[in-house]
Amino acid sequence: MPRSSKLSSAAPWRELVTTDKDWRAADPGLLRSTLVDLHLIRAFEEKVLELAGQGLVHGPAHSSIGQEGGAVGSALPLRAADQINGSHRAHHQFLAKCLHHVSPEGMDPAKAVTAPVQELLQRTLAEIMGLSQGYCRGRGGSMHLRWGEAGVLGTNAIVGGGVPMAAGAAWAHRRAGKGDVAITYFGDGAVNIGSVLETMNLAAAWKLPLCFFIENNRYAVSTVVDEATAEPRLSARGQAFNVPSWKVDGMDPLAVYLATQEALEIMRSGGGPTIIEADVYRFFHQNGPLPGSAFGYRTKDEENEWRARDPLDRVGSEMLKRKLIDEAGIKSLRDQAQAAMEAAADELLDKSGAKLAVRADLWPSPDFRDAHIRGDLSELDGVRYVEQEQFTGKLEERKFVDTVADVMHRRMSKDERIVVMGEDVHRLKGGTNGATRGLSQDFPGRCLGTPISENAFAGLGGGIAMDGRYRPVVEFMYPDFMWVAADQVFNQIAKARHMFGGDSAMPLVLRTKVAMGTGYGSQHSMDPAGIFATSPGWRIVAASNPYDYVGLMNSALQCEDPVLVIEHTDLYNTKFPAPVDDLDYYIPLGKAKVVRPGKDVTVLTYLSMVQPSVEAAERLGVDAEVIDLRSLDRAGLDWETIGTSIRKTNNVLVVEQGSVGTAYGVLLGDEIQRRFLDYLDQPVQRVTGGEASPSISKVLERAACAGPEEIEDGLRLVMAQQGRPLA
Amino acid sequence: MAIKIELPSVAAGMEEATLVRWVKAEGDKVSKGETLAEMETDKAVMEMEAEADGVLGRILVPGGTEGVAVGTVIGVLLEPGEDESALASFQAPSAPTADASPAALEPETFPETRAAAKLTPQHSHGERILASPLAKRLAADYGVDLHSVQGSGPRGRIVRVDVERVREIAPAPAPAPSASAAAAPVTKPAAAPAIVEGTRVQRIPNSGMRKTIARRLAESKQQVPHFYLTVDVQVDELLALRSRLNAKGSKAEPKYRLSVNDIIVYAAACALRRVPEVNSSWSDEAILRYLDVDVCVAVATEGGLVTPVIHEADRKGLAEISGEIRELARKAHDGKLAPADYQGGGFTISNLGMYGVREFAAIVNPPQAAILAVGAVEKRPVVRDDQLAVGSLMTLTLSADHRVVDGAVGARFLAELKALLEDPLELLV
Repeated sequence: MPRSSKLSSAAPWRELVTTDKDWRAADPGLLRSTLVDLHLIRAFEEKVLELAGQGLVHGPAHSSIGQEGGAVGSALPLRAADQINGSHRAHHQFLAKCLHHVSPEGMDPAKAVTAPVQELLQRTLAEIMGLSQGYCRGRGGSMHLRWGEAGVLGTNAIVGGGVPMAAGAAWAHRRAGKGDVAITYFGDGAVNIGSVLETMNLAAAWKLPLCFFIENNRYAVSTVVDEATAEPRLSARGQAFNVPSWKVDGMDPLAVYLATQEALEIMRSGGGPTIIEADVYRFFHQNGPLPGSAFGYRTKDEENEWRARDPLDRVGSEMLKRKLIDEAGIKSLRDQAQAAMEAAADELLDKSGAKLAVRADLWPSPDFRDAHIRGDLSELDGVRYVEQEQFTGKLEERKFVDTVADVMHRRMSKDERIVVMGEDVHRLKGGTNGATRGLSQDFPGRCLGTPISENAFAGLGGGIAMDGRYRPVVEFMYPDFMWVAADQVFNQIAKARHMFGGDSAMPLVLRTKVAMGTGYGSQHSMDPAGIFATSPGWRIVAASNPYDYVGLMNSALQCEDPVLVIEHTDLYNTKFPAPVDDLDYYIPLGKAKVVRPGKDVTVLTYLSMVQPSVEAAERLGVDAEVIDLRSLDRAGLDWETIGTSIRKTNNVLVVEQGSVGTAYGVLLGDEIQRRFLDYLDQPVQRVTGGEASPSISKVLERAACAGPEEIEDGLRLVMAQQGRPLA
Repeated sequence: MAIKIELPSVAAGMEEATLVRWVKAEGDKVSKGETLAEMETDKAVMEMEAEADGVLGRILVPGGTEGVAVGTVIGVLLEPGEDESALASFQAPSAPTADASPAALEPETFPETRAAAKLTPQHSHGERILASPLAKRLAADYGVDLHSVQGSGPRGRIVRVDVERVREIAPAPAPAPSASAAAAPVTKPAAAPAIVEGTRVQRIPNSGMRKTIARRLAESKQQVPHFYLTVDVQVDELLALRSRLNAKGSKAEPKYRLSVNDIIVYAAACALRRVPEVNSSWSDEAILRYLDVDVCVAVATEGGLVTPVIHEADRKGLAEISGEIRELARKAHDGKLAPADYQGGGFTISNLGMYGVREFAAIVNPPQAAILAVGAVEKRPVVRDDQLAVGSLMTLTLSADHRVVDGAVGARFLAELKALLEDPLELLV
């Protein structure tokens, strides 16, 4: 019979409960501020529900009524430089952090609504109503609230989606070394999602000052927490990742405050992340003004039990006991809060008609629709753009991948802000291909090997980028992993600038390599260009040679938008003339290059297909004009160069290697037929791989990808269809 | 086996006809070669004959139907011994008209589009033409009718090279410099110009005069081997002489007022007398040299170009010529020229100078052998005694029928004319 011994987690996990003594000892100023915050938030949420009931709030209004204690108790011990983000239900968290920001000296129940407070309430309400005076110019609304100045990074409508981003802010705080922290709020529904658990692990591994604040309100819409997990004490998650954790009664704001203080102490002193689970209760349904019991998933009795523990009453009664306020004072506070909300709403509403309406002049202009999808590239003004033909530095034959490492090394040596992260980038002589060679040795702490959790570290990179103090370079070992990290890549990083109103930059570089031809099979062999090009926000570059790579990477690292840099294993070990003594020039984002002038057909291609296209044209004697697109995103397509060529050749062949389904040429074909129809002598023709993703089998892999023979076929087709078949 | 009676194509390019009447009625016995029905094309009424002996089993398109497309089954012939059950599968065509005329009030589609389709077996009219967007644009730019183009792209799609090939074979005619004026380059090619189907046009029916002009000039340009000689003439002295004469003319009885053209007519007549080879016509057997110098003057009228003639112009005085031209022009404008006014003539003068035309080449007016195109009098730099000076010049272009007039002959004529005009005192001799 085997022997067994009991193991226990290394992480402390405890429940914190306040005593009368704690309440008696609590600072009167803290209690006053707590009571004011609670009342303002409550009145705010009541007004939101009222307006929602009148149809004046477009979209859901996720009320936090009943849950205010967790937000207020955790926000009050924060410093101005600390940051928070939250989820779809975050009005209370946003307001708690922002009230603390506008009233850092504390709040007075007798004079609760100062001018800055009134403005905060009005602008927050305006944002929720989608009006241009909101903090995100009406783009964010109820679920995407950001006020960077106040330390609110941006709340998130994707369950758990904001958590990796908050880890990025925490990473920046740790790197800055000032003891600042981040809190990421989410609910019991989010605690089981991958991005949260991945981030708990990553934050613990990297000792990031991040508090995972779980508002356990027991219901994910109507699904009870006991149904969703076998461990409904959600703070137990810390046991798995060695994260110190607290469980507190969220209806007791002082308990939350004290637990947060303990957590902050650990985080500020380099002890890594913490978890606080606050048991709270939303008095209403998921959204709207009806109670949950109206939908049948819980009882009125249960709701009444929780309502009896209303945090406003709890703090009020404790303060009455200590004679810090009287009944009239509480009544007055309630009146002030409601009056403030009346006034805020009045500013936004048109009461002249029979029916209440939003004041028409407050809506954003419809032409604001696409503004701020990306930045204006003014950050690249004045840089030294040099094409290879004009380059006066030294060029030596070098492997492409060595130049990849060289230019990053050069930039990291000149720019302290740059930090590289990805799987194995710190080992194996520079990752699996040598693309990060020498970085971890020469730049300790700035070349970070990540756990295999793309969602967490991509989002963490996004959070660093949004913070702005550092410039993350994230590597996906294979492009297919973008699907694993899809929420962070497409919902968060790509949309952040636009969704939060346009003022926040997202200077992130994502490197990845196309590996078609290496036998890695169906799940490692995609070309990501086509998918990324569907995602507004991303810029995409792909260099066909090391010279362009250096210039494009320099531009990408300077750019305030997320830039996907696509590399290719076929190019890595190919030798090209590469710059060796000048790695500081730039290639413009949005400038294609004619690599072979011609008049028979315009070949549009990029990355590893550029040189094979030139060679195929030479072999067949087709006078093709081969254009290396270099920039592939919608904003980066160089229509001047492309258009000039099409007007000349009247025929277009798009050449790419990968599967037809995710192929990039769709976008090109669509744009070209609309822009240049009258110049086309035949449909836009395309060379792509097959429908299936490439298989492991060498023969099948070759058959699935486009290569020199397929390019030749394409050229023959395009000549035949212009009535000039090749012999 | 019942025999389909189809509307036959009796002329190349024929697309449709009117089925005038059935000569035979259903049930009539017919013999091979007997007339079944009459049809009328745009050219003629023709009889349709039975292809075989038998009985006219059924009439599918009644007599009097217009616009019956070629190939339409208009009736069924039963072979001897066949009964009517053989007719079961034949139905009257639901829409017998091939190409209904557009409503009169609508802007019409250019009729030549249809004519052009007749020339080309590749695309039957009404069928969608497959052409690349570029080919369509180029065809419109070049004036190439896509109906006449054979496509070499997939599924017969017309692509750029096809349009360019057609254009090289038949370059588009250059536009005429002055469509309304003299026997100048009125270009009316035999082939109809390509106008894209659906283009909005106004239809101006051709008058008999217009048709005659078109036919004669087309014939001339196609059959007469033209060559062209151009000379610049300094007319300062001529203008001075004209001024002096006109000063007198205003007081003379009858009054006269000479135009430059009047003087050119007289000078040309004198030159023709000196170089009579130009005053000739071609015939297969002989060159016919005119013994009189009868000079035609091209007059533009609303209906088109007419060329009234000044008989024996070399024997008339300037005032007389001037008066005659004025009278003939008036009659031409009023449409009152008598045949004697415009018949005959051995040489024509066409003057577009009043329109500011500097120079042009006219089409020879058959059966004459030459025509003189007169441009505007202009102040131009001239070299006199090796000095640059300003002179009044005009440019004359002789178009000549090389069968009759050789280059040197034409040149001699122009030299004579130039001498007469530059030194008009010569006209007195």
